Amino acid sequence: PQGDYIELHRKRHGYRLDHHERKRKRDAREVHKRSAMAQKALGIKGKMFAKKRYAEKALMKKTLAMHEESSTRRKVEDEAHEGAVPAYLLDREATTRAKVLSNTVKQKRKEKAGKWDVPLPRVRPVAEDEMFKVLRSGKRKTKQWKRMVTKVTFVGPSFTRKPPKYERFIRPSGLRFTKAHVTHPELKCTFNLEIIGVKKNPNGPTYTSLGVITKGTIIEVNVSELGLVTPAGKVVWGKYAQVTNNPENDGCINAVLLV
Amino acid sequence: MVQYNFKKITVVPTGKDFIDIILSRTQRQTPTVVHKGYAISRLRQFYMRKVKYTQQNFHEKLSTIIDEFPRLDDIHPFYGDLLHVLYNKDHYKLALGQINTARNLIGKISKDYVKLLKYGDSLYRCKTLKVAALGRMCTVIKRVSPSLAYLEQVRQHMARLPSIDPNTRTILICGYPNVGKSSFINKITRADVDVQPYAFTTKSLFVGHTDFKYLRYQVIDTPGILDRPFEDRNIIEMCSITALAHLRAAILFFLDISGSCGYSIAQQAALFHSIKSLFMNKPLIIVCNKTDLQPFENLSEEDMKLVMEMKEEAMKTVIGQGGEATDEEGVLLKMSTLTEDGVIAVKNAACERLLNQRVELKMKSKKINDCLNRFHVAMPKPRDDKERPACIPEAVLEARAKEAAEKEKRKLEKDLENENGGAGVYSASLKKHYILANEEWKEDIMPEIFDGHNVFDFVDPDILQRLEELEQEEGLRQEEEADDEDMDGEELTPEEREALAEIRRKKSLLIQQHRIKKSTAESRPTVPRKFDKDKKFTTERMGRQLSALGLDPSLAIDRARGRSLSRKGRKRERSLARAGSDADDAMDMDVDQPSSKKLRMRSRSRSRSRPPGEVVPGQGFKDSAQKVKAIKLVRKSQKVRNKDARRGDADRTIPTLKPKHLFSGKRSLGKTSRR
Repeated sequence: PQGDYIELHRKRHGYRLDHHERKRKRDAREVHKRSAMAQKALGIKGKMFAKKRYAEKALMKKTLAMHEESSTRRKVEDEAHEGAVPAYLLDREATTRAKVLSNTVKQKRKEKAGKWDVPLPRVRPVAEDEMFKVLRSGKRKTKQWKRMVTKVTFVGPSFTRKPPKYERFIRPSGLRFTKAHVTHPELKCTFNLEIIGVKKNPNGPTYTSLGVITKGTIIEVNVSELGLVTPAGKVVWGKYAQVTNNPENDGCINAVLLV
Repeated sequence: MVQYNFKKITVVPTGKDFIDIILSRTQRQTPTVVHKGYAISRLRQFYMRKVKYTQQNFHEKLSTIIDEFPRLDDIHPFYGDLLHVLYNKDHYKLALGQINTARNLIGKISKDYVKLLKYGDSLYRCKTLKVAALGRMCTVIKRVSPSLAYLEQVRQHMARLPSIDPNTRTILICGYPNVGKSSFINKITRADVDVQPYAFTTKSLFVGHTDFKYLRYQVIDTPGILDRPFEDRNIIEMCSITALAHLRAAILFFLDISGSCGYSIAQQAALFHSIKSLFMNKPLIIVCNKTDLQPFENLSEEDMKLVMEMKEEAMKTVIGQGGEATDEEGVLLKMSTLTEDGVIAVKNAACERLLNQRVELKMKSKKINDCLNRFHVAMPKPRDDKERPACIPEAVLEARAKEAAEKEKRKLEKDLENENGGAGVYSASLKKHYILANEEWKEDIMPEIFDGHNVFDFVDPDILQRLEELEQEEGLRQEEEADDEDMDGEELTPEEREALAEIRRKKSLLIQQHRIKKSTAESRPTVPRKFDKDKKFTTERMGRQLSALGLDPSLAIDRARGRSLSRKGRKRERSLARAGSDADDAMDMDVDQPSSKKLRMRSRSRSRSRPPGEVVPGQGFKDSAQKVKAIKLVRKSQKVRNKDARRGDADRTIPTLKPKHLFSGKRSLGKTSRR
């Protein structure tokens, strides 16, 4: 059959005599069939269907609510302003009591608490046995001074290994990453930017020097792609970002730009 | 010859469906159970397998899509151009290119994550890596889903394209919209193209096939072309332009000389001149259609001049091909598809021209030399100058002449209708050709109901004949009855008369009885004869009746009793009887000869039967008590064996004690806490 043969047949012969009846009944039966499927489906199929159906129902409820809401006039609630004071206290002068602390004390406190002014102020500490895997070496495999890093690392472009006999920390090449997915917090868009270096790993300076990237690590990324310019007119090409995921579990480094 | 068939492309699923299919397949076809305590290599292998399997499936499915869709550069330029016109070559290529990149990306993702999985040291880490890998592959597909949707639509449309072979003999029909191209193709082929009074009814190419001189030609119907500059043409017109440009075909340019299509001959001529460049090297025929509305001779001067101009152009193509300059008839033809006048002539002319052109081309090509020496037409050498034409008998010639004359003479009902105003105005009188005994009866109205009955129930064409037959039968029967009565009255003796009366009485009695039985058959169950409690049908009764008639019943009674059921089991007696009969007469086996042993006259009465519990001593037992004991022992052992479902002592089969289907397997719905 060529061309629009279905429409042509419909034009010439019309529909079956019971076509509309059957269609109506079939559509009416669909509801029952769907409900039977929803009740009987097991396993992953059932779960997926339930999820889809839940989303549909939520949407339906929203549209219904939208249709039902009428434009009536409602009483406006007057929010109390900050620092609003009742009438009988108006004449008093408010005094604030604040402890004046010196800046250094504050900083020291913060360092001790392990909180910094970054998107992830606190991270879960990573133990050494989680970070390193012990490699046995030597003729009888009794020497255990070598360690292999099990987390994602960054080594610079000019990195060359130490002679294998002497290297204590092994950073496998399969776990070396050069790029990170960096999100700009205001623009809310993500870019795939090159890492320049690891600035600070919250778990310790050893890890920083090794270049290990875990959750909460501050890395420096190449932002020349974004085209940022300083007020003085110079082009910004490096910025700090903080890692927000566990790269060894996800296979990629996601970070948030520190503006 | 490659058949361009785009119907075999597999369905392209939407993005979402694609992901669902692949992921559910991974879930079904790879092992699903894994525990924390397994060896780390086993865990890694488990998850790596899932990632690789998913990637392989994606690769397979995407490859089928890429391979099955035709590459616009590899197919015949006609189809390449047609697909470009319909679907936009760039968009098409981009979509396929995107699918290709998606395939490569998924390959890369799989490779990277398998590499990372080698460093997984815990179940959780491997699991999250696998989730990340599959998620990324699905995101790639999600990004590509608009292309998938586009390709699905393209596939659906492509499947409905007509399968045109670009290399075979083709006739192309072109012209303005509404000139009668689709009607023409409907007439000469079996294609069922929609014909409507509005323009652009045909919106795409249609193909039909027709035969001429034992060869198959394809006829292509195109949508109408308007006279516009090339850039302004829309997709529908471009389809026909593509066909005109790429197919080596005989072209029939249709001209509507009546102007009922809404365009004047001047406009159509203008179109002709604007596309005449496409008619290079193709046999061109100008067809004037709708001659029934406007005969060709009555055209105005300017129109005739335009038509002649077009004819000049067409003649140029004929001359260009080396045809005779005098072949004017093959270039400008008139026809009407409505009255089917000249349609076949047009088809024949087109086919002929095309065939000649193709044969010529083939003769000029180099390949012909391979064929030429392979076939040879043998003509018989004339041995003298005598002419020997074909021999047609006189009768056939006369018949042919008469038929031709008749055809011209006979006036069809259709012609009559057309003369008297057309379809809605004139209704043919169907009773004109009735064959009746009396000519005046033709216009009579036949009644439908008469005396409360439908007349048609009683109508029968042979009614007079049947009436005659009936009367004959009646006459015969009356004669017979008269004969019977005669016989009754004169030839019977008094005894015979009595016997006759007796027989008649008996018969009427029987009939009455039968009638009673029949009427009560619905209320009372019919008991079969062997259970008749009334014992009406006994041999005594038969004997009485027979003796009343004067016959000797004894033989009949014996025979009846000999065949009764109670005697069926007696093998010995029968064999003895047979032996006896053998001695006497080998042929008469069926007759029961009286044997030495006395035959039982009646079935056994109760006096010789035994009470149910009594055990007769015999069979090697010295008295009843011993036999009873033996019977008890037998029953005891039998009971044990019966409970084991064993047929006997020798039955040693062991049935399945734990059938598998009852003790294993998961339930699809519910728990298996009971078995």
